[in-house]
Amino acid sequence: MSDGLKIKHLYARAGFGLNLEEAKSKNKSSLQKEVRQLLKVSSYDEIKIPQQVLNLQKKAISMQETMGRRQGRKLEDEVKKYNKNIVMDWIGKMTEGKNPLLEKMTLFWHGHFACRIKMPHLAANQINTIRKNSLGNFKTLVKDIAQDPAMILYLNNQQNNKKKPNENFARELMELFTIGIGNYSEKDIKEAGRAFTGWKADVVQGEFKFVERQHDYGTKTFMGKKGAFNGDDIIDIILEQKEVSIFIARKIYKYFVNPKVDENKVKEIAGVFYNSDYDIKKMMQFIFSSDWFYGGKNRGVKIKSPVELFVGLKKILDVDLPQQNIMKIVGKGLGQALFNPPNVAGWPGDKSWIDNATLMLRLNLPHLLLLAKDVEVKGMESFSRKPKNKSADLRPFIQEFSKKENSEIADDLIHHFIHPPLAMNKGLLYKRIELSTPEEVIQKIIFRTLSLPEFQMC
Amino acid sequence: MKRRDFLKNTTLASSAMMIPSFLKASGWESLFGNHVGKKLVVIQLSGGNDGLNTIVPFENDIYYRSRPKISVAKNSVIRIGNDLGLNPELKGLESIFKEGEMSIINNVGYPNPNRSHFRSMDIWQTGSASNQHLSTGWLGRYLDNECSGCNPYFALDVDDSLNLSLKGKDVSGFATDNINQLRKTANNPYLKYVAESHQHFHHDDDHENVEYLYKTMIDTQSSAKYLFEKSKVYLSKMDYPQNKFGKDLKQISELMTAKANIKIYYATLGGFDTHAGQKGKQNRLLKMYGDGMKAFVKDLKRNKLFDDTLILTFSEFGRRVKENAGGGTDHGTANNVFLMGGKLKTPGFFNDAPNLSDLDNGDLKFKIDFRQIYSEIITSALGGDPKKILQQKFSPLEIV
Repeated sequence: MSDGLKIKHLYARAGFGLNLEEAKSKNKSSLQKEVRQLLKVSSYDEIKIPQQVLNLQKKAISMQETMGRRQGRKLEDEVKKYNKNIVMDWIGKMTEGKNPLLEKMTLFWHGHFACRIKMPHLAANQINTIRKNSLGNFKTLVKDIAQDPAMILYLNNQQNNKKKPNENFARELMELFTIGIGNYSEKDIKEAGRAFTGWKADVVQGEFKFVERQHDYGTKTFMGKKGAFNGDDIIDIILEQKEVSIFIARKIYKYFVNPKVDENKVKEIAGVFYNSDYDIKKMMQFIFSSDWFYGGKNRGVKIKSPVELFVGLKKILDVDLPQQNIMKIVGKGLGQALFNPPNVAGWPGDKSWIDNATLMLRLNLPHLLLLAKDVEVKGMESFSRKPKNKSADLRPFIQEFSKKENSEIADDLIHHFIHPPLAMNKGLLYKRIELSTPEEVIQKIIFRTLSLPEFQMC
Repeated sequence: MKRRDFLKNTTLASSAMMIPSFLKASGWESLFGNHVGKKLVVIQLSGGNDGLNTIVPFENDIYYRSRPKISVAKNSVIRIGNDLGLNPELKGLESIFKEGEMSIINNVGYPNPNRSHFRSMDIWQTGSASNQHLSTGWLGRYLDNECSGCNPYFALDVDDSLNLSLKGKDVSGFATDNINQLRKTANNPYLKYVAESHQHFHHDDDHENVEYLYKTMIDTQSSAKYLFEKSKVYLSKMDYPQNKFGKDLKQISELMTAKANIKIYYATLGGFDTHAGQKGKQNRLLKMYGDGMKAFVKDLKRNKLFDDTLILTFSEFGRRVKENAGGGTDHGTANNVFLMGGKLKTPGFFNDAPNLSDLDNGDLKFKIDFRQIYSEIITSALGGDPKKILQQKFSPLEIV
């Protein structure tokens, strides 16, 4: 198998796929170099909230406190609209391809530390925290998440105090975030809950605050150890257990390698993860440097998540839609609303993305993207309607394909953009096209290729 | 599961693999009918309907003291019990109740109630405990367990996206709120050619997900055709209210009358989150619901389908007993659930009115776990093993 094909697979999993130009240039690169490049993080901007939105948010919160919920709520609804900008900002980062793996890991951890966030400043904070650690150390990531204001609100640690402990965060910390069910007792949950008492959020500032008088300084017995543990101690003790590395490695395997788990491989990955003291980058490097990752059994077997699908298409077609439409398509239509997971267990992924409604929308998505009323298609002047400020750009394709036979065009598109073996008659991609201009023919073949069920896979 | 169900749903259906496709397309399933159990229609009131202003405790002073602004006046209540009556906007339900075709179950909820819409709806749709996270719905697990070879539209969500309760691990429900539109999308000639050409390709074990996508696509294409044809068999002449909910109910009744092989229908009416200015908002919605149900029940009766139908109405939670400063109510806990259908075992009020003097932090205490109702529905209407589907045993209620 050529490095070119391996690189295609690598970028589909470690990033959001490649567009035509990237695919062409990377086709000749070496795999080693690409893996190295993906793991190297170049500088990036954090997601920032404009001061005026922050001010508005503060006003909304203080209004709720002083004048009652109703007054504050209206203002808050205004502020919430800004959540769209954060999602768009993030989708922009995924699309531009500066740090594909970093963004992919951020998306993975966003689903792992699933948290429903309504306030934009808290959403931005959390995603910045995750991005900062997403290829760093898992222990630091967990500790940062335990002090993340949005998570504290979501899992009721705001209500966790010495007098009336709330164990919700402690429970999910173990069940979903680190070690998995069956590796701790109900008593462990209660004791861990006590250790996190007084860990609160300053919602207005969007910061962690430790409320000393609400913290339980007493002795706790947790996973066979005894001490006046605080939250950080609890996380340290949990992460001493090898089961954590297996739990995380299995989830990583399902997400990056294959939804069907090979437990032996999971153990290998977990070993690297545990022995490096939870270095996420080392774990990912191990996976991407292993031959089995590129094996035929693992290629083209993963159903793209809505965000993967959408970002991938956006890259290929270089198209943009109005914010509202994107939120509608990816969130309500396809079922992955960022900052709004189904519950604290995150998106179950794989087949659960697919039902009749989501699949038909997925298969029609290229069409929707290109034929949306306010989308101009560059290079397709004969087609395009009045230009608005959104554009799709097919010029690279037209340049590349204008001298090629239809069947060659189809072959090239499959080569670059389709991962599993075709399970249909290839001729359908380019036969029976009765249109006038060569551009229209090229556009048609692109449509047909990207509308295949096979394009849903990576 | 009864033997007849078993035959119909499993053996014959799974041997469908061996039935030539031309037979399958001609709707061979209808030969075997669908007479066992009942059709289930689920009506979801989203946003947390205020149960106390729906079924009004008009003899209760605490009720009137707690709600000086928004309570329903005693003299306007439609009396259907000694101490409970219908909100006047629910006039449409009066005859259904009085004819013994409706059962009102009070104080339905679950332990450690969650007051987030999202989470509580999740709990109702998955049938989980409040500290448990399931990614399949209770009806989805029914499909997984009892329906591995059923047609893809066996459970129909009248919505543009499939809700969690109908998502199974291997088998899920089917979603469409516009059959004509669905047909247009599914009729994409290119995708039809693709589907057709796929028939000649061998199944590849490593790429079973590709196979799954093809199957879903082909199922959608054939379902779109089936549903479109069935939707043209009978056009209801009943006067449904002119709104989305009325339109959805009409669609359901037309498919039922056309004897479509659909066991479960699901429809949603949203907007019940009445934190402020509740009276106008909730009244409008209750009228929509009551008038819609009246037309729907009448339609089903006229077509002699009502005895074989069970209609469940629920909301993710009720609201607090005390009104708030904005003339609304905030998120609460236990609530009433309605069952409608012919030949109910215990029509009328199933249990006592909520006890307003014994509250949990200002909220109603639940007396009946909603999963007891699900369990009953699975046993009596759907035909299935409730313990397997709900992953726990719940004591039955004997209503249906």
